[in-house]
Amino acid sequence: MKTTTQNNMGENFVKTIDFPKVIKKQQDTLLNFLFFLGMIFSVYMLTIQPVSAHGEKNLEPYVRMRTIQWYDVQWSKQQFNVNDEVSVTGKFHVAEDWPISVPKPDAAFLNISTPGPVMIRTERYLNGKPYMNSVALQPGGDYDFKVVLKGRLPGRYHIHPFFNLIDAGQVMGPGVWLDIGGDEADFTNDIQTINGKSINMETYGLANGIFWHSFWALLATAWLLWWVRRPLFIARYRMLHAGMEEELVTPLDRNIGKAILVGVPVLVFVFYTMTVNEYPKAIPLQASLDQILPLSAKVNAGVVEVDTLRAEYRVPERAMKLSLKIKNGSDKPIQIGEFATGSVHFLNKAAPLPQQNDADGVVAAEGLSLDNPTPIQPGEQRTVLMTAGDALWESEKLDGLINDADSRIGGLIFFYDTEGERYVSSVTAAVIPKFN
Amino acid sequence: MSANLSTRNFRPYTGEKARIARAYDYLVLVLALFLFIGSFHLHFALTVGDWDFWVDWKDRQWWPLVTPLIGITFPAAVQAVLWTNFRLPLGATLCVACLSIGTWIARVFAYHYWNYFPINMVMPSTMLPSALFLDAVLMLSNSLTITAIFGGSAFALLFYPSNWPIFGMFHLPVEAGNSQLTVADMFGFQYIRTGMPEYLRIIERGTLRTYGQIATPLSAFCSALLCTLMYTLWWHIGKWFATTRYLNRI
Repeated sequence: MKTTTQNNMGENFVKTIDFPKVIKKQQDTLLNFLFFLGMIFSVYMLTIQPVSAHGEKNLEPYVRMRTIQWYDVQWSKQQFNVNDEVSVTGKFHVAEDWPISVPKPDAAFLNISTPGPVMIRTERYLNGKPYMNSVALQPGGDYDFKVVLKGRLPGRYHIHPFFNLIDAGQVMGPGVWLDIGGDEADFTNDIQTINGKSINMETYGLANGIFWHSFWALLATAWLLWWVRRPLFIARYRMLHAGMEEELVTPLDRNIGKAILVGVPVLVFVFYTMTVNEYPKAIPLQASLDQILPLSAKVNAGVVEVDTLRAEYRVPERAMKLSLKIKNGSDKPIQIGEFATGSVHFLNKAAPLPQQNDADGVVAAEGLSLDNPTPIQPGEQRTVLMTAGDALWESEKLDGLINDADSRIGGLIFFYDTEGERYVSSVTAAVIPKFN
Repeated sequence: MSANLSTRNFRPYTGEKARIARAYDYLVLVLALFLFIGSFHLHFALTVGDWDFWVDWKDRQWWPLVTPLIGITFPAAVQAVLWTNFRLPLGATLCVACLSIGTWIARVFAYHYWNYFPINMVMPSTMLPSALFLDAVLMLSNSLTITAIFGGSAFALLFYPSNWPIFGMFHLPVEAGNSQLTVADMFGFQYIRTGMPEYLRIIERGTLRTYGQIATPLSAFCSALLCTLMYTLWWHIGKWFATTRYLNRI
């Protein structure tokens, strides 16, 4: 406890300061503040959610619906260990009605959305052909793909196959959760050069790179210390302005400078020549665009013809109504089993599918209905009103189509005959919104 | 004021004055270290960017053209300040050393530990030999013109050969997917980058290759020419932004 005397307005008074109490009060305030921070942090930590999307819903609906139309995407397994291989296979149709505001897919890269290289890509095939670079896709073309991946980092990840389209962005395929088990330290990735040299990709060239960086860093540090050891700014400034420039850069400094002028280029070219001799077969980076032709038509193959007469989106009902003129050119009755657009699948409950192909498609199991559900007979041409209705239009942000500058819909209709044979047709039309 | 000193009446600082002046040196050096690590690294990441980030971007055409051209900017500006006012020929080496520290920190912590890329895939290039040469030319010539022409040119010309010992081994050929790739290309294919599709790489584009497949020397000399201009521009930017008026009050 300390007693102080102060003079205020000519009056003398005595004020007693109880230091232990003051300190206690300050400690209490600090503790309350830390408790408050802890509460906020706890709420944050308790409500934290793992990331489970890659912004795929934020891409404009007309891009998702009318560029890459994915189907039959499957993963070989969804639980595996570090060093295990997993493959994703599937098909896609490149929409004929490619949006005018999206550059044509003259260069496209089939990619895998991952949070960093938690897996590595070991092989990739398009239409059965292996390819390493980008590829030009043809609107209206049909393709199948396979990507082989190898587990690298244990964890649970949400993964999509997707296309990077040049000047357009990313178009996601359906996503799945993958669980990678095991130990990160077990991961190996060895490849062979053409000359048969085995390379560990995880460490190749690292020690060599660190050596050369360190070598030049040592010389640079020596040069910096050579100058920093002397008085620097104020002293040199004064000397310079006193006309003592000659003392600031001594003959020895100049000789060292000359040694650098000669020595550094000589060292650089000696080391360069050594490396050229060590790796005489080095080649430039490869930058070719792979050329892979589409498959023979899988969509619009000519058996079932579909013409879209009108498309209406009923906002309150969250339902797309498509008026379709369908001609069955097959020799068996067919039914519409599924309508897929933007990786959302609307299924016709009245026509059960032989199998559900997509591993993690966003599915409206009873989302599809027809005004006339009877099968379309061989040779018959019929106009059908197909309704794809579900809250998924909203939750998948596909209803944003009515706010797009290019408000046209695109998608695939899957027909099935009585023996389970599948026919796929693409549809496209301008969408008329109905607000009430 | 100090600026009015003459050789005849110049007295070096001694005692407490000398100690304070030395403390000021260290203070400025430490601040400069963090300033250049941050600012030059940011400038470099935003302009050279992917050419320095990824091993499969370090091609023979654009990498030796772009990297020295951007890399000479801060060194020129800092040389203008340190040489003109203090006759300190270490501006280029200091800047590039700071850049190296910044890039290594980013590659190890941001790219490797945070984003899981192997460090060898994201190893930075070095411009330290070029910077040493640039400092030496300025010191010996005491001339902006000579340093811009000869130092700037050498800065660009030394870049590719000084980095080949680091990156040459990544250009060994590999057969994969029925095609020939380099080891560097394999890194790009195998280690998945969602935002970096292969077609984004600006490599091997343009008409420099028309001269008998000797793209690198042409790129290097093109960069050398541009570096002479870039050096001069940034020298004047350095002089424009820097001031020593506070020293005049000491």
